[in-house]
Amino acid sequence: MTTVAVGAVAALALTGCGGAAPTTGSSSGGAESGELVIWNWGNSDEAAESFQTDVIAAFNEKHPDVEVEIVAQPFDQYYTLLGSAIEAGTAPDLALFNGGTQLASRADMLFPVTEELADLEETLAGWPAFQAGGETYSAPMFLQGFPIYYNKAIFEQAGLDAENPPTTWDELTTACESILAETDVSCFALGNKEGLGIEFFLSGFASGVFTPEEYDAWIDGERDWEGEHARQVLELWQQTSEDGWYNAGANSTAMFNDSFDLFSGGQAAMVIGLTSGIAHWKQFDEFLGEDLGFMMPVTVNDGTTLALPAEGGIGYGILNEDKFDLGVDWIRATVDHDALSAYSLAGGQITSDTTIELDTDIQSAQDIVSELPGSKPLLHTALSGETLDLLHRLGQELLINEVTVDDAAGQLAASEG
Amino acid sequence: MSLDTSSTRSLVLADRAPGRTRIDRAPRRRWTLERIVPFLMVLPVLAILGVFRIYPLLLGINFSFTGDRELNGVFVGFQNYLTLLEDERFLASARNVLVVLLFVPIEVLVAGLLATFIFLKVPGHRFYRSVYFLPVVLSPIIIGAIFNIVLAANGPLNGVASSIGLPTVDWLGQTLTALPSVLGVHVWATFGMAMVIFLAGLSTLDTQLLEAARIDGANLRQTIVHVIIPGLSQTITFVFVTTTIGMLTGLFGLLYTMTAGGPGTASYLPEFLIWKLNGEARPALASAASVFLLLLVLVIGLIQIRVLRHATKEA
Repeated sequence: MTTVAVGAVAALALTGCGGAAPTTGSSSGGAESGELVIWNWGNSDEAAESFQTDVIAAFNEKHPDVEVEIVAQPFDQYYTLLGSAIEAGTAPDLALFNGGTQLASRADMLFPVTEELADLEETLAGWPAFQAGGETYSAPMFLQGFPIYYNKAIFEQAGLDAENPPTTWDELTTACESILAETDVSCFALGNKEGLGIEFFLSGFASGVFTPEEYDAWIDGERDWEGEHARQVLELWQQTSEDGWYNAGANSTAMFNDSFDLFSGGQAAMVIGLTSGIAHWKQFDEFLGEDLGFMMPVTVNDGTTLALPAEGGIGYGILNEDKFDLGVDWIRATVDHDALSAYSLAGGQITSDTTIELDTDIQSAQDIVSELPGSKPLLHTALSGETLDLLHRLGQELLINEVTVDDAAGQLAASEG
Repeated sequence: MSLDTSSTRSLVLADRAPGRTRIDRAPRRRWTLERIVPFLMVLPVLAILGVFRIYPLLLGINFSFTGDRELNGVFVGFQNYLTLLEDERFLASARNVLVVLLFVPIEVLVAGLLATFIFLKVPGHRFYRSVYFLPVVLSPIIIGAIFNIVLAANGPLNGVASSIGLPTVDWLGQTLTALPSVLGVHVWATFGMAMVIFLAGLSTLDTQLLEAARIDGANLRQTIVHVIIPGLSQTITFVFVTTTIGMLTGLFGLLYTMTAGGPGTASYLPEFLIWKLNGEARPALASAASVFLLLLVLVIGLIQIRVLRHATKEA
């Protein structure tokens, strides 16, 4: 009797396993059953939650029998946990990555999807942040950009033309002098506790400092830290601190979210913000409303071409070769046109899909989108993790005059080998 | 020259009790239930230690001799250690360990003095005992968040300073003040535990000695120096060494929330560096830094054992 029961259960199980796969496979062209484990760093709000639901739905349209398990990890520990999981052999099938340094430094762990996503090249922007060694490792979902936001009310209080923000470094300097003289707030909100300030400064103002040729060479890995313009960035960073542009105690102020709170709360006239999940136009608009303005980088040197610094922000990479095909389809679902359209409005993120029209009357958002065609990749994300960390530390030391520009440039040049 | 041990052997054999032959002793060696049970009871602890402490430790040491990224799993000898010796952050964290050690006597002194006052029943001693212990139960993250506000450039501490004409300082944003500020907060947050150990030690003091000192007219200073401190020598040693180990391995939470290792490398400590290296996708290098921290703590631990043994002999 027992033997019969075991045999019956085994037969049912075999039937179940053997029956499900061919049925779905034939109906949806290669669909599979099973589970797809995906790591990300969670959803910041309802809009992000809704976007995730849309993506899962888009994926399940093609793979109805595949269960998607999203595991949200804390962002602060994300790459540490992911690295540990990979070493321990318990890595997820796919994981969310920041484009640029974070992805490039882990490219050897990922499986390239260059050919599989080739058809998306025309509709999406920001690919370079997800490419390394000639291969593409993910599709950018959103664009990460460093637009400069300003507070029109503070500009007016300082006697400045709020509708015509500075376009040159000299004008910006004059504006800061007026703001510091006429108001009680700082010119720029700066949080440099983690050393992030200088990377925002570098990428935020870069197109007005470097010539287009220098800019492209930088992205291609040919960086001359001791050259005139790279040194100039470090000098300007130090000089602006000496000139009192920033809030007191910038080196002990966290960028996320303390410095952005300073700007939102009207305690600073300008801030270099983001276009992705936080510190974006929609978030600032909630506090500043019509006082929120967007300005392009300013011209520092002749022969430069101003460009909005923006590139692919985040995207999923495939860690498990056995789930490669499913992984590709998941990545495709994350750049689903409808899902991105819905989220760009609700979440405030500028998406990578260039065919989406941002249906909002918030002017700063429209201004940012209008600058996207001429945008350039961020300079700091082209750096290695080691150089970026060195830049963070030197940025702090430059701010308090504990290292000279020459020394800093020399250390950065040595770091790049 | 050969050594004749026959006389010694005969003495040893002669010392045996009558009737203790090999045949008599044999049954005692049997693994009876009574003899096995104690080992079985210790086994879970040994297993937990083995699985969760010793095995990861050995893995970590082994891992420190392998490479990162494309060299993942490849034996690289001492390369990671050589890399660390050229890493500015590692050198800074090693230097900063010396600063940490300077704060150990401060914590021991604060905890010891306050425990003594409470033991001598200063007015309100029950209240102070609770208040002093309170920070121990708070999470380092919460303490870090609180002192981020207190020590901010425009925070209340600088507010008080400027109101009385003193210069304001960005306590957590300056090289000279960042690590000492964190260590000061750590002392405040943890001295309560050291104080409790001191109170336990004080409760074992010979009250007759204290009474005799009082009758002889000893003042407070004389009582502390000549009666209490000598009587507490073992406790002081214990608190000193455990505080050192606590500072070397328990500052991550405060560093993470208060300074993030900066400015520059001013507040880097080995624990924070390990976390940073792992976050930079260099787990093997992080393992090498972990071994360094292990050696550091091991040296302190050996000193602890040596000092305690010495103190016990004195007692």
